[in-house]
Amino acid sequence: MLKILIPTLMLFPTTWLVTPKWLWTTTTAQALVIATASLTLLNWNSETGWTSSNPYLGTDPLSTPLLVLTCWLLPLMILASQNHISPEPISRQRTYITLLVSLQLFLIMAFGATEIILFYIMFEATLIPTLIIITRWGNQTERLNAGTYFLFYTLAGSLPLLVALLVLQKELGSLSMLVIQYMQPAPLCTWADKVWWAACLVAFLVKMPLYGAHLWLPKAHVEAPVAGSMVLAAVLLKLGGYGMMRMIIMLEPASKNLAYPFIILALWGIIMTGSICLRQTDLKSLIAYSSVSHMGLVVAGILIQTPWGFTGAIILMIAHGLASSALFCLANTNYERLHSRTLLLARGMQAVLPLMATWWFIANLANLALPPLPNLMGELVIITSMFNWSNWTIILTGGGTLITASYSLYMYLMTQRGPVSTLIMAVEPSHTREHLLMALHLIPIILLMLKPELMWGWCF
Amino acid sequence: MFYFTFLVLIGLVLGLVGVASNPAPYFAALGLVVAAAVGCGILVGHGGSFLSLVLFLIYLGGMLVVFAYSAALAAEPYPETWGDWSVLFYVVVYIAGVLVVGGLVGGDWYSYSWVVVDEFKDLSLLRGDFSGVALMYSLGGAMLVVSGWVLLLTLFVVLELTRGLSRGALRAV
Amino acid sequence: MNPYVLAILLSSLGIGTTLTFASSHWLLAWMGLEISTLAIIPLMAQQHHPRAVEATTKYFLTQATAAAMILFASTTNAWTTGEWNIQEMSNPTALVLITMALALKIGLAPVHYWLPEVLQGLDLTTGLILSTWQKLAPFALIYQISPMMNPTLVIMLGLASTIIGGWGGLNQTQLRKILAYSSIAHLGWMMIVMQYSPNLAILNLILYITMTTATFLTFKNVASTKLSTLTLTWSKTPMMTTMAMMTLLSLGGLPPLTGFMPKWLILQELTKQDLPLTASIMALAALLSLFFYLRMCYAMTLTIAPNTNNNTSTWRQKSSQTTMTLSITTTLALALLPITPAIMALTT
Repeated sequence: MLKILIPTLMLFPTTWLVTPKWLWTTTTAQALVIATASLTLLNWNSETGWTSSNPYLGTDPLSTPLLVLTCWLLPLMILASQNHISPEPISRQRTYITLLVSLQLFLIMAFGATEIILFYIMFEATLIPTLIIITRWGNQTERLNAGTYFLFYTLAGSLPLLVALLVLQKELGSLSMLVIQYMQPAPLCTWADKVWWAACLVAFLVKMPLYGAHLWLPKAHVEAPVAGSMVLAAVLLKLGGYGMMRMIIMLEPASKNLAYPFIILALWGIIMTGSICLRQTDLKSLIAYSSVSHMGLVVAGILIQTPWGFTGAIILMIAHGLASSALFCLANTNYERLHSRTLLLARGMQAVLPLMATWWFIANLANLALPPLPNLMGELVIITSMFNWSNWTIILTGGGTLITASYSLYMYLMTQRGPVSTLIMAVEPSHTREHLLMALHLIPIILLMLKPELMWGWCF
Repeated sequence: MFYFTFLVLIGLVLGLVGVASNPAPYFAALGLVVAAAVGCGILVGHGGSFLSLVLFLIYLGGMLVVFAYSAALAAEPYPETWGDWSVLFYVVVYIAGVLVVGGLVGGDWYSYSWVVVDEFKDLSLLRGDFSGVALMYSLGGAMLVVSGWVLLLTLFVVLELTRGLSRGALRAV
Repeated sequence: MNPYVLAILLSSLGIGTTLTFASSHWLLAWMGLEISTLAIIPLMAQQHHPRAVEATTKYFLTQATAAAMILFASTTNAWTTGEWNIQEMSNPTALVLITMALALKIGLAPVHYWLPEVLQGLDLTTGLILSTWQKLAPFALIYQISPMMNPTLVIMLGLASTIIGGWGGLNQTQLRKILAYSSIAHLGWMMIVMQYSPNLAILNLILYITMTTATFLTFKNVASTKLSTLTLTWSKTPMMTTMAMMTLLSLGGLPPLTGFMPKWLILQELTKQDLPLTASIMALAALLSLFFYLRMCYAMTLTIAPNTNNNTSTWRQKSSQTTMTLSITTTLALALLPITPAIMALTT
């Protein structure tokens, strides 16, 4: 852990001391080195499930893929922001990179925490950098509203979680993830216990987000600059899924009955948000709603609590993290050239940026879960376990898959095919930086097909 | 003694009604003086002579004078009097309210009071509430110095607030 | 103000609070409270501005009322029990009276109405003294009588202050009023834990004083008393603006900052005492306060235009104010959370 944490900490002095000319190059290089070093965590040789260098930080098969994804995303975020941040004054550029790095620091500690309360604090600590990224570097005035929504949805969900965790601490005397799964869980029969059960999960359900508590997400995605959208879609939402998986194993007997309304909301949300995507005119909003739809599948997979459900959830989280981040980058390449997110204005980009169209094609296929890609593996495993849980869910999950395919096609056709809009003039050609960015997103997805057990979680 | 207590209680109600009903600060100050004075009388009637002395000296002697002074600085030149209809209306409403509530609560609630320490005064040398004050001053010179400093500070603060015709804080407004 | 006069007044301010700290006798404690009230009055009115004089008068009247109630209650206690010692109060009526009087003195809801009005009339330095130093003496008295106080009353005071402190600040645009409501909300947190773990209340007070000092000094440095003037500060001192934003979020209690520590520990203590519902209400009431801190952050730092400024900045004099206190308190207000155990060891 320390060999990732300390270089991440040292990114702060790098950011502030390096000469302005080399700022972006140096930080990207160092972040990439950290990301490469973090791959060693995947080399798994522990029999107990946990590899921990000290009692507070450790990794297990559940957290390792997410941790590596976090480290992998930082150089990509820096690469993606380079074009629109570098015209700013140098101190602001440094501040921006510092925020991204601090986000990575908090996320590493959140995924590495073995103590639930440390996880909670780091989960909350990610709010401040994200809030600043959204409201300071967003483009429209609505960003302030989006920041408020983001902060207050998350906090209103997670403050009851803090109280619930403290109650648990009082009853069990420990909140260490290393031992808590072996403890006798509380019977959860009174009304207060049921409220406690809900408080344990609602924070993560809001963060995921579950359909019904998802309104903050499209706003935040639409208003955030590209790095904010990337990290939100790729990692911050996954904090919710990770936290749910950690918590739900302690809530064992009661979850069977109490989880019904949440499973229903999640499944219904897949259909609803997918349908919203079909009528969406805003590119970033479309990708955001597609995230909500995929996360609905993850929530359902976690809440039925079968080994397959968990495996599918973690696979889908990783695959969706890379794919949706790639889509946001692509949306940003359009935005930087056209200064608009509207789908109607960005027609026929294939004729203008042909190589970009290839990246659009692959990213779209990843998003709609084409057969060999890991996205399909995740969806298929979740759909199978849901089908096993109740046959009727196939209507909703299958319908959801169909709708996903439709809106992906809609997005691809709208942006890439057809005549070039007459409003598009003097578009810059695509940069090598952007191709590198897309390659770094999509190559891991393709490579994961070859060794998917890296992200199978506990069931490997 | 019973009639005396009764009169004093009526005086307390009237004083409070006076404060509550009249918007002019002059009458409020007058009502407060009446209420505070008869309140001390009630305390004396129940045996709390030291308590009433403290309240009477400090908060009638000191604070109400200051209050009357600042009220006089701030008050309007033609205040409403008791005879005005708006004020009279409030007076009637408040007195009626007191009578109704008194009638509802009823009984002889006012004749009770808590057991005071002087119940055992045959055994003790000093009254209970005196003893603490005596103890404080018996500590000696340091306390005297502190008390003297407080008096000096009070004078100083008053001087600082009111000095000059245009420089002092209160006059300048 | 004449430096000699200022010296006399400031030393009397110190003497008053120290006297209350040192006393075990109600009369002496009362005397200390009165000395500090008297000593701050000329400081408040030194501007000779109508608002300042109005604030001074309001402050004097409320503090005198509170002191009268303290004197009345302590004499009543002595009358019935013969005991002047602060820690030996036992008469329930006197205890309720004295709790309310002390609540009035430090400005707890529902007797908080004077605080925003008074703070709004003062300049930022006096406001800083009022919201930090002047809280110490009454707080020491509350600390001493806390085991005997009526628990229902204390919890009601705490809850009401937290909720009203959050609610009242929502529609304010004046910084000093917002800070007054923030003070009310923080004092509510201190009250609620007062009977279960007085040391935590002291810890909360110390951290609150640190954070609010940093905020007051920042506003003083940029000479800003309104949200609208706060929006212009980023062009004067960009670095301090950024730090001030973090300080405000720390006051709001967001996790990696110092302000989360007292909230966390207090919630833990409340759940330990089987009061999870109260803890949840307190936690959610803190969101109300967070909203106005967030709005200050928006105004101050986060709404800078995303493009660069083409104007050259106007000529301005270099600030001659010393920033040592500001930088120390800001650092403390941001970075104490990781050493929570050490801080707890200091206060227990």
